[in-house]
Amino acid sequence: MDDISLLEELLRIPSLSGQEGAAAAFLVERMAAFGWNAFIDEAGNAVGLLGSEGPLVVLLGHIDTVPGAIPVRVEGGRLYGRGAVDAKGPFAAFVAAARRAELAGQRSGHPLRCRLALIGATEEEAASSRGAHYARDRYAPDFCVIGEPSGWDRVTLGYKGRLLAHYRHEQPAAHSAGELPAAPEALVAFWRAVEQHCARHNAGRERLFEQLSPSLRRVASGGDGLTDWAEATVGLRLPEGVDPAALAEELRALAAPARLRFEGGCPAFRSPRTTALAGAFVRAIRAEGGQPGFLHKTGTADMNVVGPAWGCPIVAYGPGDSRLDHTPDEHVELAEYQRAIVVLAHVLGQLGARAPHC
Amino acid sequence: MNAPCPECAADVALAADTMESEIVACPDCGAELEVVSLNPPTLALAPEVEEDWGE
Repeated sequence: MDDISLLEELLRIPSLSGQEGAAAAFLVERMAAFGWNAFIDEAGNAVGLLGSEGPLVVLLGHIDTVPGAIPVRVEGGRLYGRGAVDAKGPFAAFVAAARRAELAGQRSGHPLRCRLALIGATEEEAASSRGAHYARDRYAPDFCVIGEPSGWDRVTLGYKGRLLAHYRHEQPAAHSAGELPAAPEALVAFWRAVEQHCARHNAGRERLFEQLSPSLRRVASGGDGLTDWAEATVGLRLPEGVDPAALAEELRALAAPARLRFEGGCPAFRSPRTTALAGAFVRAIRAEGGQPGFLHKTGTADMNVVGPAWGCPIVAYGPGDSRLDHTPDEHVELAEYQRAIVVLAHVLGQLGARAPHC
Repeated sequence: MNAPCPECAADVALAADTMESEIVACPDCGAELEVVSLNPPTLALAPEVEEDWGE
């Protein structure tokens, strides 16, 4: 099976968060066919292990997707399908690059100088990040690459944090001509207070990575004649220095007397680029004729889960344009996918040549 | 092995096993610098970190 068929077949297997079993089984079968130690772990992750000596490199990419089936097809050099960018494409590139690096080592008589653990993780698109949390507690890598789209010639160094707040307000039903504000009005007042809170935090901060960014994700209201209610889900993207637990308490004060329930809280994370891993990517991208670039992203990824715990050099990398994440036009340029494989294989061939350092 | 910082002209010491394309920080001004050559040791300002959407 060639590299493109690997991704194309993976895209044809639906894998919503919590329903990754078939995709994981497919990947385990492919990795086992290479002679790797491949299995599905207790979190449902598809794992492939290879190499017997040298530093441990974890290649962690999620294989679940958001909803929205996109017919899998190749048109004009583009492979369309849900997950082509976010993030089956990057994980398929991991598998292909690891195989390429392994074979290159065998041909040259200089086998890989590192051990690889490829982890196709579950539930990244859910707030649980189940697969990454499981991996976080079971590996202690020397290097880590997270599979997310950066573009073949760019490397992601950090992601903002996240907090989801589920708001619910109930009050006795009252006539709309009365003086009591309606439940939806209380909700609107809360949302405006959240916006003002963020605006105060963001004063003088121009970079998105430094800003506290709110989004109103869901709104509903109703009543049964005795009780009126209003609900909303507010998402917040957190800059460095904003602790999710402390922010949750501030939001509770803004929402009172309404109730808030929180989910998916994690702080922002940023990795330095003065590492052997970042240098290996710069070298590999230049070798492919590219001009390397570095990114900070406004979203949140499994790097936020494992980065603080592992404390090793870590970046996110993968083919694709992240503006296509979660869109009906999700696709990856096949030429870019193949270039990313070459770059990754080059990086893996370098790791282990020197002691890792941060 | 040493090379001048292109930002502040400080003398930046490079480890003996430094490789081309590594990124180092200037100990004086903190600028992040790419090792663009080892013979002679030459540093250039690393590209600015951009911002991007997702995931």
